[in-house]
Amino acid sequence: MPSVLLDQIAPAAPEVLLAVGSLVLLMIGAFRGNGATRLVAWLAVALLSLALYVVVDMPGETRVTFSGMFVTDRFGIFMKVLVLIGAIFAIPLSLDFARREGMERFELPVVMTLATVGMLMMISANDLISLYVGLELQSLSLYVLASFKRDSERATEAGLKYFVLGALSSGMLLYGASLIYGFTGSTAFPAIGAMLAQGTGGASIGLVIGIVFLVAGLAFKVSAVPFHMWTPDVYEGAPTPVTAFFAVAPKVAAMALFVRALVTPFGAIAGEWQQIIIFVAIASMVLGSVAAILQTNIKRLMAYSSIGHVGFALVGLAAANVQGVQGILIYMATYVAVNIGTFAVILSMRGPDGMMERIEDLAGLSRTRPLVAFVLAIFMFSLAGIPPMAGFFAKFYVFAAAIDAHLYALSVIGVLASVVGAYYYLRIVKIMYFDEPVVAFEPAPKGFAAVLAVSGVLTLGFVFVASPLVALAATAAKSLIPG
Amino acid sequence: MAETGVWTAYGLPLAIIVLQIFAILVPILLSVAFLTYFDRKIWAMMALRRGPNVVGPFGLLQPFADALKMLTKETIIPAGANKVVFLLAPMVTMTLSMVAWAVIPFADGWVLANINVGVLYLFAISSLGVYGIIMAGWSSNSKYPFLGGLRSAAQMVSYEVSIGFVIITVLLCVGSLNLSDIVRAQEKVWFAIPLFPMFVVFFISALAETNRPPFDLPEAEAELVAGYQVEYSSMSWGLFMLGEYANMILMSALTTILFLGGWLSPIPFAPFTMLGPFWFILKIVVLLFVFGWVKATVPRYRYDQLMRLGWKVFLPLSLVWVVLTAGVLVTFGWLPTTH
Amino acid sequence: MDLIAFIFYIFAAITVASGVMVIAARNPVHSVFFLILAFFNSAGLFVLLGAEFVAMILVIVYVGAVAVLFLFVVMMLDINFTELRQGFLQYLPVGALIGLVLFTELVLVVGSWTILPGASTAITAPASAAGTVAISNTHALGQLIYTHYAYPFQVAGLILLVAMIGAIVLTLRQRTGVRRQSIAAQIARTRATAIEVRQVKPGQGI
Repeated sequence: MPSVLLDQIAPAAPEVLLAVGSLVLLMIGAFRGNGATRLVAWLAVALLSLALYVVVDMPGETRVTFSGMFVTDRFGIFMKVLVLIGAIFAIPLSLDFARREGMERFELPVVMTLATVGMLMMISANDLISLYVGLELQSLSLYVLASFKRDSERATEAGLKYFVLGALSSGMLLYGASLIYGFTGSTAFPAIGAMLAQGTGGASIGLVIGIVFLVAGLAFKVSAVPFHMWTPDVYEGAPTPVTAFFAVAPKVAAMALFVRALVTPFGAIAGEWQQIIIFVAIASMVLGSVAAILQTNIKRLMAYSSIGHVGFALVGLAAANVQGVQGILIYMATYVAVNIGTFAVILSMRGPDGMMERIEDLAGLSRTRPLVAFVLAIFMFSLAGIPPMAGFFAKFYVFAAAIDAHLYALSVIGVLASVVGAYYYLRIVKIMYFDEPVVAFEPAPKGFAAVLAVSGVLTLGFVFVASPLVALAATAAKSLIPG
Repeated sequence: MAETGVWTAYGLPLAIIVLQIFAILVPILLSVAFLTYFDRKIWAMMALRRGPNVVGPFGLLQPFADALKMLTKETIIPAGANKVVFLLAPMVTMTLSMVAWAVIPFADGWVLANINVGVLYLFAISSLGVYGIIMAGWSSNSKYPFLGGLRSAAQMVSYEVSIGFVIITVLLCVGSLNLSDIVRAQEKVWFAIPLFPMFVVFFISALAETNRPPFDLPEAEAELVAGYQVEYSSMSWGLFMLGEYANMILMSALTTILFLGGWLSPIPFAPFTMLGPFWFILKIVVLLFVFGWVKATVPRYRYDQLMRLGWKVFLPLSLVWVVLTAGVLVTFGWLPTTH
Repeated sequence: MDLIAFIFYIFAAITVASGVMVIAARNPVHSVFFLILAFFNSAGLFVLLGAEFVAMILVIVYVGAVAVLFLFVVMMLDINFTELRQGFLQYLPVGALIGLVLFTELVLVVGSWTILPGASTAITAPASAAGTVAISNTHALGQLIYTHYAYPFQVAGLILLVAMIGAIVLTLRQRTGVRRQSIAAQIARTRATAIEVRQVKPGQGI
């Protein structure tokens, strides 16, 4: 009997570990009080690292558990690794900020851990119900995190905005899910897929409307246009380490969910949803590139940048083939590496009067902090997609997949958008290197240098790690789309 | 032909049901009347007074005199009150305290509606009781009633949580939500013995749920001059009164069913086991005496103490007990087997 | 007319009517009362379906707890109704447009609906047979929730935990300078620590 139970739980081992572990952390925090914040935070990091080890150590074959509601495969493992890395970096980055800004409470790492549990569950969701519960666990934690600095008006506003719009999108998602259930008779992804594969004459209109609502809900979670409105405000208003967390982990998880929720059940009727994704991808790329030009706040800029990047990643989904999924995986990997580094720099922008968030504040960074400026320049080049950097290869793979799927117009628009986008990334480089310094930043807290170094080396030296990563992404993509 | 068909299909059962309803409600209304007398007598005796002793022998007709007095008084509706809600409130209270009796088994098989989810039905009805008070408090459009209404809302919601967990503990031992099944499951031992702490928690929560002293904060006459009842007069006030006492009987009946073996006889052989309803009523009367006893002897709780007791004492205690009971049942293989 | 159908229409009509009144009522407290009425009648509809467990839970959770707290908040709010109405009229065209789009979609969806032969009986059978078959629907629900749906059930628990943590983190403020009752200290008081007998000399005080 116990062995049967263990067999059931084994594929979900990292999630169970994190969920139980976060309860333990909560207890420690509740009994030791806010003085234990650092302890809880580092224990959370240890817990996440342990979960990372468990994930990496998992056997690669596809396993299904909990009555088919939960699936682990190479695709999931790849994405989970990215999410966990994002979370592992985000928690220590938040510690110094939390202490200085008076939001040092032990719940911060606990809620972040619980959000990570939700993300892992999203990645492994194999059923509309598990999709929804995973998504809600993640979203609810993020709403709390967004307004964690509760005495700040901006943070509360960000949290409230995020919450109201998030609830709306959850409603749309549920409406879509119920339509899909009604027209296919199942909530399980494989069952829906099988039913559609044997069906004749494509999908009924009810199912298509259901998919539209589902996509709308998911597009909100990845902040793709036209459901992106919350992103700049939330990114700007939320405390910066939380923004860093938002920009990395949930994006990856939501993207993984997006891919799995469309490819597994609706792979047979890709023609029905491809056009929606194409539209969303184009709109996101264009808006992300154009709107970012006018921004003066670096967090807002990163918000628009993330909208644009989601658009680029969705190009891979629009292709709806193995190469496309592989492209998304590579894209998300580089996105995580670059964003962690960029936000580490933003977090170290602390002047004499507290945190600085304007882009002009970076002026002359090359003279006051040459190394930081250099690394940030690398990140900006990578985000812009300039050749030897990681970002270039990521874009290359998704566009290659799109061309493979004969989506020429989409690829051309994408390349143009990335050229426009390059303008504002390079503007930051220009400000850092050619403008006169205004203020000098305080020295960054310990450990930031390490984060920057790791992230910078990965971005710059992507060519050297590219081939194993690409191979991993390829097998991961094949686990999702067999054949 | 068609008419007789309708008569046998619907008319006759309906008539029987109506008769059954009367057979339950008339005795209950009578008991409510005498309960007020009983309550006053207990209270008086504990205070070394005589209590009502003028109207009829031993003052037994006092309740009827009171009823007559209330009926002949004027119903006053305050000018600023929300008229419809104001009049609905006492009716809601009264109706809810009556409809709950539909599922109470007076003896084996003596029940109007033997539904599967009897306990839940009772729980649902008792949780609705708060509306009468909130409606009264709000619609009176006056300060003290409003405060009484708010207090009552918070108080009832708080104590329902622990009542829910207590009921779950009992259900774990029974394996059914049917009230008759719950009584039958106590043939070996009344649940008051193995689940004694839960019995106590349940009874105290029942006091809070019926707004009886020491938890009568919604009407606390010392601070709120009778709280939600301030603006009520004559029979609209009388309905509140009747509802409160009917609820007391109901909660006593529920305690009897859940913990004291319902109609089961404490003496387990022939002539005594025949007297199901007698035992049931006797147990209720004993509990009602405790209600009166508590009222006469325990001082009123302060509001924060009330909340503390509900959330910080009863809730953890009942939660722990749920886990403990489940653990014991599973470990020793005592789980009830139904179906 | 069939009695069940007759009762169904009564419940359904009251549900819909009170649903309309929830939005139409001028007084927000009345809106909540109508909402409660709607909940109550939907519970009645569940009973007609044979889903008595869900019906009772609906009353306990929504009417007995959620609506009470809702009422609690609404009663204390100070809302300016005329202002609210103006906003309503302002957004009416947009709202009507969205409603129209959704309605058209629903018509399209329902119009194209094809139901498997025998599907309707397959769906209603387990619920309506609850009274006759040996297994009650509480039992059936329990068996499903704790086996097939154990995973979402557990995750739902985690979600509620997060909601609780969130509520505490965002709103709990430890006020300083408040004298709190310490029950333990009160109980620990003895006659020796509480009472002291002193000889008071007349005209001097203590």
